[in-house]
Amino acid sequence: MTPADALSLATFIALIMLALALLLSTVRIIIGPTLADRVLALDLMTVVAMGFVGTAAIRTGLMLYLDIAIALALLGFVATIALARYILSRVTSEGPQ
Amino acid sequence: MTISDIAVYAGCVILVFGAAFSLIASIGVLRLPDLLTRMHAASKAGAVGGGLVLLAVALLCFDAGIALRAIIGIVFLLLTTPVAAHLLARANYHVTDQTPVNKAVAQLNSKRSPDSQK
Amino acid sequence: MTVAVIVLMLALLWAAITGNFSGLNLLLGATIGALAVSLLRTAFAPPRALRKIRQFLSLTLLFFYELAVSAVRVAIVVLTPNLRSALRPKVVAFPLSVKSDAEITLLANLITLTPGTLSIDVSADRSILYVHVLNAQSPEAVIAEIAGGFEAKVRELYA
Repeated sequence: MTPADALSLATFIALIMLALALLLSTVRIIIGPTLADRVLALDLMTVVAMGFVGTAAIRTGLMLYLDIAIALALLGFVATIALARYILSRVTSEGPQ
Repeated sequence: MTISDIAVYAGCVILVFGAAFSLIASIGVLRLPDLLTRMHAASKAGAVGGGLVLLAVALLCFDAGIALRAIIGIVFLLLTTPVAAHLLARANYHVTDQTPVNKAVAQLNSKRSPDSQK
Repeated sequence: MTVAVIVLMLALLWAAITGNFSGLNLLLGATIGALAVSLLRTAFAPPRALRKIRQFLSLTLLFFYELAVSAVRVAIVVLTPNLRSALRPKVVAFPLSVKSDAEITLLANLITLTPGTLSIDVSADRSILYVHVLNAQSPEAVIAEIAGGFEAKVRELYA
């Protein structure tokens, strides 16, 4: 197997696994019983999406995608923090459920 | 086989492992029974999965600047994932019932008290 | 002149001599510079600074090792067919002996990324860290493991 073949096979396998991971975390976002479960699944989803974009960068050779991947990771972190604070503030304004 | 060939094969293996860990993280988030155990899967397997994919990018791009950016991305990921998990766990602990935490504190205090009475 | 400045200057010198200012080449220069400085440490660096660097490196190595172990262990738990038998979730209260904000932050982050443990919250008086354990044997074992591993290293680093 030449390096080019190995690369194309590995990125193909990785893309399939990451797509499955995206699908599974979407299921958790839909069924997740509490808001915190959904936020957790969303956080995981951004990390998986980052991996997906990174793999796309390797497969296409367009390293511009790497910047998108890092921006996604940044955005996911900020979103999770904002949502965690939202969960906290929802309680303090309404009292414990 | 040259050095760059070895780097490509190593990058392929790391990439597949990273994708596998991401998949395991999302299986865990789906299968595990409650939020805190799910958080274990998302924070550990998720961070390792994402980090390994970025490491594969660093190995496979053959460009020092891009490799450096990918490695900074890994460091960033490892710094932010625990913070995000911690904030979410903390928010959830303030929202839901706090009995497991209180029980743990009581257990710790009961163990401490013989020392403090000395 | 501090060690960092010397290493930086050596790295720039290396890049200038080889005529290549790319990141990787600067890194190589810095590595060679650090090696040279560490060989001549009696002339440049006070031994304390060097010990700090070594402690930091040892903490980093321990961290990456534990991170790999924890990811594999979580993967095994997730893929067990019978989840109930593999899971014994529990919250453990860990008495903190490190006090400053920086130390607690570092310790909490390290705990989250290591096998089977996840930090939840710090008590208001900063004396207790609540840790969630995925597969708990006994609270004492968990407390002893953290206190002897990461906490000792973090305290050493900031001492």
